[in-house]
Amino acid sequence: MTSLEELRKINARCIHCRACQYAYSGEPDREGEDETYTGMLQGCPAGLYYGWEGYFNSGKQWMARAFLNNELPASKELLEVTEACTTCGMCETQCPNYIDTVHVTEALRAAIIEAGVEPLDKHKIFGERVRNEELRNPYKEPREERTKWLGDNIDVIDKDAKIAYYVGCTAAYRQQQIADHTVSILEKMGVDFTVVSDEVCCGSPILRTGQRDAFKEVMKENLDLFKDYDLVLFSCAGCYKTFRNDYPSHSGEPLPFKVRHAVEYAYDLLEEGKLDIKKEYPKKVTWHDPCHSIRHVGIAIEKEILADSKNWLLDSRKAQKAKEAHYEIPRIVLNSIPGLELVEMYRNRGNSFCCGAGGGVKAQFPDLAVFASKERLKEAAATGAEVLMTSCPFCVTNFNDGIKALKKEEEETGKDLSDVGSKLVVVELLELLDELL
Amino acid sequence: MTQMYNKVTDEVVKKLVAICGDQYVTTSEPLRHSYMARGIMGNEAVLPECIVRPANAEEVSKILVLANENLSPVTPAAGGLSGGFALPAIEPGGIYMDMTRMDKMTVDTENRVMVVEPGVKSGDAWRIFKTKYPDWAPPIPDGAPPAATVLGDAIERGFSLVTGVYGPQADMIMGMEVVLPTGEIFHTGSWALPGAKPFYRWGIGPNPDGLFLGSQGSMGIITKCAIKMVPHPHYKTVVAYGGETWDDIIRPAWEISKHEMGIAERTVMVQGGNYELVMTRWPKENVPVDYEFYKKIGVDQKWMNYECWAWSKEELDETLQGIDKIYKDYEVREKRTLPQQDLHPKQVASRLKKPNKIAIPYSLWQAGFLFITWYCPWLESGEMMEEYCTAMENYGFPPTMWVASIDHARQAIVMPILCYDSTEPGIFDKIREFNLETTKSFLKKGWINYRPDTFVHAPETFSKAKEYYKMLVKFRKVLDPNLILHPGRLAIPWESVSDEPSPLQE
Ligand SMILES: Cc1cc2nc3c(=O)[nH]c(=O)nc-3n(C[C@H](O)[C@H](O)[C@H](O)COP(=O)(O)OP(=O)(O)OC[C@H]3O[C@@H](n4cnc5c(N)ncnc54)[C@H](O)[C@@H]3O)c2cc1C
Repeated sequence: MTSLEELRKINARCIHCRACQYAYSGEPDREGEDETYTGMLQGCPAGLYYGWEGYFNSGKQWMARAFLNNELPASKELLEVTEACTTCGMCETQCPNYIDTVHVTEALRAAIIEAGVEPLDKHKIFGERVRNEELRNPYKEPREERTKWLGDNIDVIDKDAKIAYYVGCTAAYRQQQIADHTVSILEKMGVDFTVVSDEVCCGSPILRTGQRDAFKEVMKENLDLFKDYDLVLFSCAGCYKTFRNDYPSHSGEPLPFKVRHAVEYAYDLLEEGKLDIKKEYPKKVTWHDPCHSIRHVGIAIEKEILADSKNWLLDSRKAQKAKEAHYEIPRIVLNSIPGLELVEMYRNRGNSFCCGAGGGVKAQFPDLAVFASKERLKEAAATGAEVLMTSCPFCVTNFNDGIKALKKEEEETGKDLSDVGSKLVVVELLELLDELL
Repeated sequence: MTQMYNKVTDEVVKKLVAICGDQYVTTSEPLRHSYMARGIMGNEAVLPECIVRPANAEEVSKILVLANENLSPVTPAAGGLSGGFALPAIEPGGIYMDMTRMDKMTVDTENRVMVVEPGVKSGDAWRIFKTKYPDWAPPIPDGAPPAATVLGDAIERGFSLVTGVYGPQADMIMGMEVVLPTGEIFHTGSWALPGAKPFYRWGIGPNPDGLFLGSQGSMGIITKCAIKMVPHPHYKTVVAYGGETWDDIIRPAWEISKHEMGIAERTVMVQGGNYELVMTRWPKENVPVDYEFYKKIGVDQKWMNYECWAWSKEELDETLQGIDKIYKDYEVREKRTLPQQDLHPKQVASRLKKPNKIAIPYSLWQAGFLFITWYCPWLESGEMMEEYCTAMENYGFPPTMWVASIDHARQAIVMPILCYDSTEPGIFDKIREFNLETTKSFLKKGWINYRPDTFVHAPETFSKAKEYYKMLVKFRKVLDPNLILHPGRLAIPWESVSDEPSPLQE
């Protein structure tokens, strides 16, 4: 179900109870360190930032309903409110009515654009660039330079192998070190894999921002390109989620190949006894769950089980357990690192607070993105950790931008903001794994 | 229905901005729609013309003065969790006052009173009590999700976590700060005396609280309330007993509660229902609908839960044994079989959890639900539920029924949960018809709706209680000469909610 009309019945389950505004909305007695981090607490970045009901999921569900019932016309104003959401899915975790909140938001964005409203200016630029066959990426980089980051390591390009590494636009053009580390890990593990030179943008930024026609084009291209592989690996949480969750629902077909994020792949190897980390990392680390590869995939696992169930009363627990098992994957990997001390932030796993970069927010609503980043940095600092670890290029960038903002504030005011995160060091888990292997 | 209000003009919006600040006033069409709700307790709601988010009583007062000047209707909302009931009911929608910015709370453990503004939500109050005042609990609604407010529930005279002992939430009020529709700000109870604490509800004169607590914003806007907080002992559990008929659960509960002291005092919550209460929390297509399945998993046809709080294990055990003895004696005397349910610790923990999300999934059965709430003398509740269930089935709704004791089983709150598909054409008309039919019958029996629907329960009730209605109109006209506050549950002005002859004309 991808169109807003198809989601009508699901949207109609919303009674407007507003439980989705709270992280841990079902855990009033959750123990925490202090009043700030105990029990249930607000967890929607946009709602907290703007304050109006329409920026919370609970309000968006009712705007979507009004739109569906022709009570609310498509307009730029409606698009602006709808787009100011990181689509992090915190709300979806909370909803006991299993409303696909993020699908509804994304479908509403698409429906507004399909009704003739122009995408918001920054989003429109992504769309145009991805649509452009000379580029096929949102960064306006030449398509033929997509594998330039590999330097001399051209042997891995378009090689005959059963495993492909889908690099994604950000690692190919902006954060090449993530691609380098991923390739290096795979090589160290002796994995026979290839990088496909013709890969195109996964379509995530344009799907999230409602530009579905262009999304479908790139989805088809990628599906065609990768259809004969057994396994496709990812280092980008957003690309992974798009392939894993969105391609099947938008193409109407199950994926013809298996998909794994590189962290999940490391976990698989650990489980099979093929990965043994010996080097120490004697640091206190807190882990930020990227919404795309952790929460969204966990929720999808839960809903896939329920979709096959005739008795939700009995099977909902099993589905929830499978979701929770997915949330443990990065923790198992981190705990396999000698010397690493993992300290959890209060809001974690399905209740994790978003870094603030997703859903097209970073480009279009930079103030909201930095607000959310700072809120999360504060929570990370409260753990006493020195390292904030994650595995998503967007989370890394947005946290670093948050830290920059805090440092600037320190310079301007002379205050020490280390208790809200100014001294945190952001580390990508793949980078660390590469160093330790 | 006649129109007697003016639209909110640009001029009025400018003045609202001058009162609250640009940031806290909007006429944005999408944002106005984002506050809508049709369900929970009210299906009928119209779109507000403007949303304001005042910061304090002074701003509330100025907004009301302005609304009077322009004859714009005003609807206050706290958490908004009464659904359609927290929205304008009639055209034009007027000014919607979102009170959530006013979220201060102070706690006085010596006098056992907390003072809250309308925006203090249950989830936040619980968190603060948990960390700062662990031996006390805020009086939050028992089964409402975290965004419901302490004050909103008192205004609704709600069912709090200790209603079985303390009575409805409104009974716990110790004093209020009220802004009258004409803008005056005053306090009730001992609080009325400058410098006095809110320690005595009846304060310095006749107490007008009931005008504001029973009118859901139709007589004045409450900007603060002092409310009793409750002791929170940590020896807690839930026991449940099953049965086949309503009397099987109603009568033993009455025997347990009626003594009021001893075990009754520690049984803070008595609530029950039928197996459909379990079934309709899941999608109709994805759950067995045959009772046999529920029987197998240990769900009785009907059951009553007893939530007990005690200061020690001995006290708790004594309470549970006392309850069990009453049940055993009752079984022998009445020749009934009323088994104690074997609750899994997870089931107990889930029932003890406050605030919770337990009642949200009634919307999962199809897509939408409505709580309809009635009060009757406790021992008559079986008859009411029987009649309700039959009517629900006649109308094609599953007979999902919930009942709870108010103040030691003096009264019952009987609440059918209508589970329906809100996308089905004509469904709201069908619900209205159902409501009308049951309302007519119940009023004849002397039972009353306690959260009256603007268009059904209120006019039906007042067309019977004419003298009371006339008195209410008198009060309302004194407090709100231009009738700018929304009609809420009072059917004032009558013409705005009913085409039937007004009780005032007779
Ligand atoms: C799933 C679910 C479960 C529920 N369970 C319970 C339960 O166990 N017990 C229970 O009692 N209720 C329950 N409710 C109903 C509802 O949550 C309560 O009535 C709620 O506490 C109301 O509080 P609120 O802050 O949401 O009030 P609102 O809905 O915002 O307001 C309630 C009414 O008061 C008026 N009002 C709001 N603020 C003011 C003000 N400052 N001055 C004057 N009038 C005002 C509004 O116009 C409205 O008519 C439940 C609701 C849901 C959705």
